[in-house]
Amino acid sequence: MDNLILQLKQQIIEALNLEDLTPADIDAEAPLFGEGLGLDSIDALELIVLLEREYGIRLSNPAEGKEIFRSVASIASYVADNRKK
Amino acid sequence: MKTIAHVRVTPEGAVLDGNHISDASITGLYREFAGDYPKFFKMDNLCRLGFVAAELLLKGTSAEDRADAAVVLFNRNGSLVTDRNYQKTISGGDFFPSPALFVYTLANIVTGEIAIRHKIYGETSFYVMPAYDPGQMDDIAEDLFLTSSPSFVLTGWVDYNDDNDYLADMKIMTR
Repeated sequence: MDNLILQLKQQIIEALNLEDLTPADIDAEAPLFGEGLGLDSIDALELIVLLEREYGIRLSNPAEGKEIFRSVASIASYVADNRKK
Repeated sequence: MKTIAHVRVTPEGAVLDGNHISDASITGLYREFAGDYPKFFKMDNLCRLGFVAAELLLKGTSAEDRADAAVVLFNRNGSLVTDRNYQKTISGGDFFPSPALFVYTLANIVTGEIAIRHKIYGETSFYVMPAYDPGQMDDIAEDLFLTSSPSFVLTGWVDYNDDNDYLADMKIMTR
């Protein structure tokens, strides 16, 4: 799981152009939206694309998104359980 | 019309009111003269260029004046660099359109980014022209003083092709 969390942090930094951050700067348990990294709605769409492109995961239920994208750790948990590649 | 501030940003650095103030790149200028606006890193390069030029120009203005100001910018290439980058995400075998790129596939986004950053509530517009034409650009900017009453107009050229080919030549005009 630690390797997946690190990989996700690197992919998030690249996909969202968080050039000032390193994986170590991102707390895996910290909220991604509102506080923490302060991501916005465009970032949320970019994360959805990232999950499909990198892990073959297609989110069919938008209601799930709030919990899945709560933190890097919650994304990692969902990816581990649902990845197609 | 009076020009009260002028900035020129190129790969050689930045010149403010005739004084060479930095050799830095666009991102280097951001770190040197702003550095407190993480959204900068989400912007495409056209927006980053216009953003740093505006940062340098607007330092001497008041919040009250900025609220009533207008922003009118011009270039030749629109948002072509980002348009091409976005096209790559929807071409070929993999179809993963990038929302973060898509939002910058309009050149006038740079005027919006500047207005948001500096709380400018006046008119904003962006014109794509066949070539750099200071006379026509000034005419369009000056027309704003006839049809509305901006405290000042932030205007000029902002065009980005690649890291070795970009130019922001912007100024603040008052009546």
